[in-house]
Amino acid sequence: MCANPTQLLIPLHVSYIQKLGDSKDDLAYHLSAHLRLNAIYWGYTALAIMNHPDALDREQMIDFVMSCWDQEAGAFGAHPDHDAHLLSTLSAIQILTAQDAVDKVDVDCVVKFILSLHQPSGVFAGDQFGEIDTRFLYCAVSALSLLGRLHELDKDGKREKTVEYILRCRNYDGGFGSCVGAESHAAQVFVCVAALAILDRMDCVDVDTLAFWLCERQLPNGGLNGRPEKLEDVCYSFWVLSSLSILGKVHWIDVDKLVAFILSAQDTENGGIADRPGDMVDVFHTLFGVAGLSILGYPGLVDLDPIYCMPAKLIEAKGLRKSWEALPRREA
Amino acid sequence: MRSPYSLQRKHGVKRIRQTAQDREAKRQREQSRIKDYLALTNVILTGKKNKDWSEDAFNLTTRILQLNPEFYTAWNYRRNIFAWINFASSHQGILKILSEDLSMTMTALKAHPKVYWIWNHRRWCLENIPDLSESDPNDNTWKKEAWDRELFVVEKMLDSDPRNFHAWDYRRYILANMPIPRPPASELAYTSRKIESNFSNFSAWHQRSKVLSSLWESGDLDESKSKEKDRNIWCAEFELIRNAMYTDPNDQSVWMYHRWLVGSSKSCLLVIAHHLIASVRECHCCLSSNNFNVFNIGCMESIVCYKRMLIKDHATDVDLAMLTRECNGMLQQLQELDPLRRRRYEDLVGTLLK
Repeated sequence: MCANPTQLLIPLHVSYIQKLGDSKDDLAYHLSAHLRLNAIYWGYTALAIMNHPDALDREQMIDFVMSCWDQEAGAFGAHPDHDAHLLSTLSAIQILTAQDAVDKVDVDCVVKFILSLHQPSGVFAGDQFGEIDTRFLYCAVSALSLLGRLHELDKDGKREKTVEYILRCRNYDGGFGSCVGAESHAAQVFVCVAALAILDRMDCVDVDTLAFWLCERQLPNGGLNGRPEKLEDVCYSFWVLSSLSILGKVHWIDVDKLVAFILSAQDTENGGIADRPGDMVDVFHTLFGVAGLSILGYPGLVDLDPIYCMPAKLIEAKGLRKSWEALPRREA
Repeated sequence: MRSPYSLQRKHGVKRIRQTAQDREAKRQREQSRIKDYLALTNVILTGKKNKDWSEDAFNLTTRILQLNPEFYTAWNYRRNIFAWINFASSHQGILKILSEDLSMTMTALKAHPKVYWIWNHRRWCLENIPDLSESDPNDNTWKKEAWDRELFVVEKMLDSDPRNFHAWDYRRYILANMPIPRPPASELAYTSRKIESNFSNFSAWHQRSKVLSSLWESGDLDESKSKEKDRNIWCAEFELIRNAMYTDPNDQSVWMYHRWLVGSSKSCLLVIAHHLIASVRECHCCLSSNNFNVFNIGCMESIVCYKRMLIKDHATDVDLAMLTRECNGMLQQLQELDPLRRRRYEDLVGTLLK
């Protein structure tokens, strides 16, 4: 295997993801049980973008998602018997939507759970314990939209409040933070911009200032960082690129250099993508590396909807497609 | 973005090639730890299901959270036990448990400074300190001290990692919610200290912009005095940023803050623009003359940005043709100097020509 790969090693990544469930001899596998549902969403989506949507067993996946149902809260935890949370609930909805199995869920119940977490300030809490973050706001808006229940926010001015909260998190650099007063961070920019896109309020975004901040995230080695004066990391390939794509400015970064950086973070022996070259891989960075490559028009990949981080065709079929621009798919 | 995915996401951990033998040795080593961990998890989740609110159950959550501080369901269970338990029925009992939880989370934070759930539990502890003022005002000392101590704790965390955004968010939360608020001026002094120890600390510049904005917005002085005070602060800020510009011109933090400062005085942009552009240009010349061929991208980007602002907002008061020509010239140069963002500069030339 070459040390510095110039191609995406799709078969290797597919088998890496397929084997993730076999790591039960690994302590780290058990220590990350609280992320299991998220991990299945990351793995499945990476496979779908690599055009191997059937590489995981559909029934097994659906059964596992349903085993994470938290009857008391009326939503999904990350693992059987774990408490419901918006983070895992969005993952569950995304998986079931992709598998066309939403009919297995008591949707009214999930909607009730999500709406119960809306705060007077307009943000959402992650669960009944009240931690707030624009990440949870995105989870709520995205999940409601996928469930076809976004209109539920129209009651009692919740929609306007939600938009107002996002705008209060905006900083002078055009970016957004995790809560009011917080520093701009590329991942929080994604959640805020994508939520505004779903809520049809992109008119609120200062495109020039924000796109400048986003393209400034590219470092001489081609990788992207999440904030000024920080190290590059493959996952920002998605957070930054998805935002640039919603703003129609993906071409503001050097595409070839970023592609080369993502490819260099692959494990050429066992598959998977790491945060940066030479590091341990994980399924999270594998998805966001592949997702970044898809937005960059990398040959052989399936189009990704940058707003929902799901296959574009699926989102289009549900009539949820908003405005965004990825680079044209290149020939191999 | 690190958490809540940090255990799953192996940030910065070097990849090592493992032979089948290495893997087998690791399996053997971890086997008994996995067994213990799963057994403990099972006891806790069963206890939770059976609504076991006992002190024993509480202590089991301590054990598992020390092993895995990201097990959010265990934090939730712990807080629910706290709400139900009898062993904390007295105020003293409650204070004892909360202070133990504060020390426990402190230890956890030292090992895992970027785990959301730990910071989150600390907030919960602070918010649950009982208010005893009605019975005895002195009893609230503990509450006040606990909140004051948090500023100290968070300063320690920011000493070891001055960019930890969890710590900065927590700091803002403490400042906004402590029972006896601190004057904003003391926070301004804190950001000065952080910036002076490292001009590259964008988090500190960010905090400074927030503190100054709130100082400007709180018009507790009468207007004329307030205006003069504003101007003084404003001049001092330009001096501070000028120093940073010369010290570390390749640092984005400096130019970002400069831009904020200019933006916040946008109403008088026309008056100050020449002075401002001249000072950036002076810095640029100084850097270029020290090293003949070095052009500073930050300087040039800023000059273009301010000139574009003049073109856009003061079209009738400026020499449009000249400014446009100058911007174009610099943007052409920037395409060569900063090829990563070449297409952006091209687009900007395009908008100027419109």
